Order: sequence, then structure tokens, then C-alpha cells
Amino acid sequence: MTYRANESRTEKALLWGYASLVYLFLYAPVITVTVLSFNDSQVVGLPLKGFTTRWFMVVFTEPELVAAFANSIMLGILSATIGTALATLLALAYRRPFPGNGVLFYLIVAPIILPGVVGGIILLVFFGMLKIPLSLWTTALTAHVTWVLPFSFLSLYPVMHRFDHSLEEAASDLGATRAVVFRRIVFPLIRPGIVAAWLFAFSLSFDEFVRTLFLTGFERTLPVQFWYMVVESLSPEAPAMAVVIIVISVATSLAGAMLSRQRT
Amino acid sequence: MKPNTRSALTLASPSIAWLVLFVAIPCLFMLLMSFLSTGIFGIQFKFTWRNVEQFVSTPLYGYLLFKTFRISIFTTIITLVAAYPVALFLSRQHGTLKTVLILFLFLPFWIGNVVRTFAWLPILGRGGVINQILLDLHIVSEPADWLLYNDFAVYLGLVYVYLLFMVLPIFLAIDRIEPALYEAARDLGASGWATFRRVTLPLSQPGILSGSIMVFLLAFGAFVTPALMGGTSGIMYSNVIATQFFADNNWTFGSALSSVMTVLVIVFLAASGRFVGLRSVFLSRAEDPR
Repeated sequence: MTYRANESRTEKALLWGYASLVYLFLYAPVITVTVLSFNDSQVVGLPLKGFTTRWFMVVFTEPELVAAFANSIMLGILSATIGTALATLLALAYRRPFPGNGVLFYLIVAPIILPGVVGGIILLVFFGMLKIPLSLWTTALTAHVTWVLPFSFLSLYPVMHRFDHSLEEAASDLGATRAVVFRRIVFPLIRPGIVAAWLFAFSLSFDEFVRTLFLTGFERTLPVQFWYMVVESLSPEAPAMAVVIIVISVATSLAGAMLSRQRT
Repeated sequence: MKPNTRSALTLASPSIAWLVLFVAIPCLFMLLMSFLSTGIFGIQFKFTWRNVEQFVSTPLYGYLLFKTFRISIFTTIITLVAAYPVALFLSRQHGTLKTVLILFLFLPFWIGNVVRTFAWLPILGRGGVINQILLDLHIVSEPADWLLYNDFAVYLGLVYVYLLFMVLPIFLAIDRIEPALYEAARDLGASGWATFRRVTLPLSQPGILSGSIMVFLLAFGAFVTPALMGGTSGIMYSNVIATQFFADNNWTFGSALSSVMTVLVIVFLAASGRFVGLRSVFLSRAEDPR
């Protein structure tokens, strides 16, 4: 592009140098944890004492960790499904302006705006006053759906506005009913967007921590289990567990990102 | 009611019901709880100003609130300075390289806060990487303790965790600038620096504002980073709220503390709304999960 002529050689070198440092800053901790997860040592840290995969064996066999793992996956699937279903209908409503859509927008993004601790406390107090006991599948699920709903909505909003509305008009001019228009025209166009929103929602739920800490009761999710593992006593399998969490979060988000690129 | 309006409201109604039931009403419950007190037999359902008095009369809470505010402001400034060149760098790349660089910028931010913050401990801790390097180079004779559990560590952690929320909106703003504007600036004889100051910087202002609002909000509510990297003296306001629920079992005072925080967040957003459309703050980061 022509404007690149404005960029001098030194400027370019400086920007590349600086950006490399930032990428190093971003990746150094991830790389360190990955290296340490294979370190054959009882202490988390250096020196490196040899290669082992036993910490991964611990992560995959310790009943508490396996349970937390299963809880997180199930909770992620459920909250992503409910949250994305609600968000899809909501984003469809936002295709045209309707009375009150401005105020409603603030209610929708409220779970993002509220600090995490507050997001946990409001539901803790609410369920406490109603005498509903804390558990993974009631209170924590509610918190997770509330948390992923606005993000699903925000990722679906541009999807709904991007496709050509004349396609719909053409279909209804040709005599298609609203149901047929939705099923044959709208839904196929927005489907990749919905799948992408679901994957993002899953990854958000999978990584959610603070709200869950307040609302989960006795059953723990993976981040909550990991938190106690780090805070109470830094167990030697912590880096391995971190690596497992990293792989799952990154894989689902990556799949979501690929899909949302594809649809353009 | 017009049929379009009715169908829009029908589609929105399940979400409206959900958000009213699980966000709006619980917020009111928290506010109500702020004006109750906790006795030995649990919550006493009688209106009282006691929590307000306790908040005002104990310097700790005001101090922590101020400290949290200060940390959030500085984190926002540091993040802005650190992020701007990255945004500029990304906007000057092209094709596949650009896509790949953006992807690799996103990747670490897809990992949850707990894991990402934890990852700093084996770097900064006593047996950590930095200490090993310092020892090997004979800069220190025994492992240094001052790398963790202080304000520096908290800033480092916060910048690490929230950097993307600054880079992304600024990058989107710079990337939208018409190349013709740069051409015009060059043809009129503007130097690189003048072009930056008169074209790039003013046009990236919406991105700067969006990013700053987001990072400030996130830092203001930070819980994990100060807890893991700040140590006992490094705690922030969110941590002291959590203590009321996990250790002191004082839900009413905890509600009062978090009501104060909520009100401040709303005031902050209302004030920012005068400078930037809040809708754009949220929609510009639509593609990004956190």
C-alpha cells in the first residue's frame, strides 16, 4: 500500500523490535509453565531435573481433578447452549430498532460491566434470600449463563447485521411464509455465527472463575479446583493442570475464531 | 403495537426475563442487604445505617478504594503506552502475516485469568526463572524476594492480563483510517511524525477511549491478580469484599461494600458516556471473547 512509503526504515525496525518484546512478554509465562509441567521435580520452579509425564498422569487420574474436569466440561456445554439460544433470539430482535432497545442494551451488557466479585455476590445474596442451596447445576449454572449471554449476543450482533436483507425480502415477495424464510434463508446464513458464538461461550464458561467461586457449593470446576491447588499449597502437578486448561481454552476459542472468519 | 415491534419483543423476552430475574433483581437484593445487619443468629431484617457508618468510620475501606482507583488509573496509562505501538505495528502489516500476528496476539488472552496469572509465579518466585538468571549471572547471591508480592508485581500482572483490551480497539481504529489520508499528508509535505500527530493519533482517539474505559473497568474489579501476585499488602477492593463472604461471613457489610463499588462503576460509565458512545465500546470488541 502507498502509505507505507511514510514509514521510514528505522521506524519499521523500532516497531518490529518493540512488538517482538511484547510477544515475548505475552508468551514467556505460557512457555515457562509448559516446560515446568514436564519437570521431574516436587517443587514448582527451577532447576529442571529431568523429563517426566507423571504430573499429567496425576491430573488425569486424581479423582478430584477428574471430577472438576467433568464438571467444567458439562457446565460449559450447558451454559453455552442456554446462553447462545437466548442470545440468538435476542440478536434477531436487534435486527431492526424497537422501542426500548437502547435501555435494554445496558441491561444486556450489565454482566460484563459489573466487577466479577459483584457478579458473584448479587446471585449469592439472591439465592441466599430465597433459601436455594448452592450447587453446580443450579446457582453456578445460572451465573454462567448470565456471564456468557452478553458475549454471545455481542458476537452474534454483527452476524445478524452483515447478511443481505434483500434475500429475505425476495423470498417473501415470492410467497414464502415467515417460518419458511427463517428456516431456508436466515438460519443457514447465521448458523456458522451461532456455532462460533457457542464455542466462545463454552470457552468463557470453561475459564470463568470469580463468580463460580461464590456460587459453586461443594462441587468444584477446573479453575476453582486449580485456584485452591495454587492458594492452599502449590502442588507439583499445578503446571500440568494449567497446561491442560490452556489447551482446552485455546482449542475451543481457536475453533470459534476460525468459524467467525469463515463466514465473511 | 406494530407487528415488527411485537415480534422483536417476543424474541427478546426470554433474555429480558433472564436478565431481570438474575441481574436486575439480584442487584436490588444486594442494595437492600446493604441496609441490614448481621447478628450472631444471622441476618437481621431491620433497616439500619450501621454498614454505612462502619464504611465511613473505618479508614481501611476508603484507603483500599482509593488505592484500587489509583492502581486502575496507572494500569490504564501503562497499558495505553504499551499497547499503542503494538496496534500501530499490527495496522502496518499485510495479508497472511497480519492475520497470523493478530491470531498470536489473541491466543494468550483466551486462557483464563487464574491460569494466566499463576504462570507468573514460577517466573518471579524464589525458585523462579528470573531468580535463576540473577543467580547465574552472580547479580544476587541468594534468591530475591522482592520480585513478587508488591505493587510492581500487581501492575505487571494487570498489564499482562488486560493488554489485549487496549490493543484491539486502538488497532481497529487505526486500521480503519483511509490510506488516502496518509498519501495526502505526504503530498502536502508532512513528516512522518507530523502525519502521526495530525492524522493517526486524532483518528485513533475513539479506540484509545474504548480501550481505556475497558481496561479501567477490568482493573478496578481485579480479584485474581492482586490475590495471587500482590500478597497480603497488595490486595485490592474486590479482595476485601470477598473476605466478608468467605472469612468473616458478614453478608450485609459485604453487600454494602459491593454496592459502593457498583455505584462507582455506574458513575464512571455514565461519565465516560459523555465522551464516547458506550454501545461502540462493547460492539468494537464483539469478536473477542473476554
